[in-house]
Amino acid sequence: MWALKLEEVTKRFRMGGVQRDSLGRVISGAPRRIVKRLSGQRSDPRPQTGKLALDRISLEVEEGDSYALIGSNGAGKSTALRIISRISPPTSGKVRVRGRVGALIEVSAGVHPELTGRENIWLYGSIIGMPRAEIRQRFDDIVEFSGLSESLDTQVKFYSSGMQLRLGFSIASHIEPDVFVVDEALAVGDVTFQSRCVERMTKLSREGTTLLFVSHHLSTVEALCTRGALLADGHVLAQGDLKPVLSQYVEMIEENQLSGIGQGENVGPLPILGATCHGANGEEQAQFKSGDPIEIRLRFEGDKPLERPYVSVGISDGRPGMLVQCSMLEDGMVPERVGTHWECRLLIAELPLLPRLYRVWAEVFASDAVGTLTEWLEVAAFRVVGEVATGPRAVVHSMAAGALAVPYSWDIHT
Amino acid sequence: MTAPTDTSPDGRSDPEQRGKFEYVADGSRPTSFLESLRLLVTHGEVIRSFARRSLQVRYKQSVLGVAWAVVQPLATLAIFVVFFGHVAGISGGGVPYAAFAISALGPWQFVNSAISFGSLAVVNEGSLLRKVYFPREAPVLGAVASNLVDLSIMVVLLLILEPILGGQLGLSLVTLPLLVVCLIIPTLGLCLILAGLAVFYRDVKYVVPFTVQFLMFASPVAYPITNVPQKWQPLYAAVNPFVGPITAFRNVFALGTFPEWTLLGISAATGSLLLLGGHTLFKHLEPEMADVV
Repeated sequence: MWALKLEEVTKRFRMGGVQRDSLGRVISGAPRRIVKRLSGQRSDPRPQTGKLALDRISLEVEEGDSYALIGSNGAGKSTALRIISRISPPTSGKVRVRGRVGALIEVSAGVHPELTGRENIWLYGSIIGMPRAEIRQRFDDIVEFSGLSESLDTQVKFYSSGMQLRLGFSIASHIEPDVFVVDEALAVGDVTFQSRCVERMTKLSREGTTLLFVSHHLSTVEALCTRGALLADGHVLAQGDLKPVLSQYVEMIEENQLSGIGQGENVGPLPILGATCHGANGEEQAQFKSGDPIEIRLRFEGDKPLERPYVSVGISDGRPGMLVQCSMLEDGMVPERVGTHWECRLLIAELPLLPRLYRVWAEVFASDAVGTLTEWLEVAAFRVVGEVATGPRAVVHSMAAGALAVPYSWDIHT
Repeated sequence: MTAPTDTSPDGRSDPEQRGKFEYVADGSRPTSFLESLRLLVTHGEVIRSFARRSLQVRYKQSVLGVAWAVVQPLATLAIFVVFFGHVAGISGGGVPYAAFAISALGPWQFVNSAISFGSLAVVNEGSLLRKVYFPREAPVLGAVASNLVDLSIMVVLLLILEPILGGQLGLSLVTLPLLVVCLIIPTLGLCLILAGLAVFYRDVKYVVPFTVQFLMFASPVAYPITNVPQKWQPLYAAVNPFVGPITAFRNVFALGTFPEWTLLGISAATGSLLLLGGHTLFKHLEPEMADVV
């Protein structure tokens, strides 16, 4: 049985606020609309202008599913959540939701700043359609979970953003929603509260609550959800089991990052003409498997021949610091003389790296290592692809701090 | 345009399914009047919450608190008595001017306050609007409802003051509930129009005080309805739906007579049209409210 369903849902936002003529249109169009209504016709579709946030998307979430919406900023995830939680109706298409929706949108789930924490619990409960008796019954649980018993009679506007989140999450998750919608909000809380939230969501999910989750924190998504959809520019690119959807997303963001690398400003007396990565057969390639050899080629164009240009190449996974650095300054393998056009090839026999995106950095020092000819610069990128691991519950996207792939196994003695 | 509806579950007997409502929003179908009424009934508790809120917000940080509901009309009464009663010499139509004026100032205070708060009720809930669903007219209804508290206090005050000031009270007091209904209808209609527009046009905020003041002089609050020629009175009551109920309050609380049913009926009819029109406009604007507020 489905818990929520989007059928061909489109959402269009007006750009630049309210159009001046909109009021005039409402009034002048009224007689025509009334005639149409009376003659049983449907009224005009909305004007076809403005930003298209969702373009005829269709989704179906089963009851009890933990469903993730993933995608880059502006993909339409939050718009979809707002439509599902009824805040903003679709421009066209049909939304169907079965049961009570608890929504945590933008940190505070409809927490009102002028009211105290206590009053907010009552207000939100009633907004969500809970009878007073039911609110009273859950009141203590909400307070206990939020850990705000001391600030309960303080106006929420005096709360820190973390406290607002705690209150919002506690209310929204304790009203026993049939569908629990959580937007990118947990990031505000501290680590302890975040883990309690995840725990709470897991518990709700086990009890049969349908969970709809939006986050850029992919490891939380992977831990919480089993199914998901990938949105981009208001379209659904993929949906179904989370793992393939998530892989596609990871691939997508890495492709995006790849295309942005090497476009940096190439300053210094010795510009790098090009930097490419090549496989064992000498062909240029952007994807490697863990353990493959890689050859990095840097092409330079100087205005005069050079003596002893010291080249350094580093590999990073996007975090500060290099994982690998090959430097002629240290190994002393510096060429005595190069011409105006020259190419430097670095062959790494084996890449013991986990699947993710890696960036190649390079710099060239002048003869005797005084002065820079080419600034330390991100010049290329490549991806190591393949499965992170083969265990039955292995993750799709490795977020571990270490990027080195070493052969290992576990042995448990009990 | 959308048609959010709450329909009962599919009739399954599974206790798990009890009380499960289905929300359907169809982007191509407008909300009907009946559907929105049903929504209001299912969200009755929200309206009560907003009414309580409105009361709290209005009186929470003030020293006098609810006493303002009495002080405001009394202060206005003093001004009226001096300027209209003595300086301008407007007649009280058979009773002292003070008794005459307060009988209309009381209900007018309700109209004034309900419109002032009701017209901005939706805009003021902007942060809530963006994050959680409720029928968007709930804050407006709440604001108007909370002013009924003030009106009740005012009625008690009238019952005490009128005999002292020289007004007549009689059997016609039994019509009070009807008068209140006739007063609420146009007030609510105007509130819905202003509240809906205020979300899109902040100009409304500046228009409201002026509108309310204009309406007061356009209604027989400071002067008796008899200043308007008899034959124009029905038209007067039709153009301004506040004329009927205000005059009726005066009849009942100052003159001790029954309301003039024709005027009250005409005003109630116009008022109902205003309410229906206001509601239609509000519903038309509703879908985009959360996106622009």
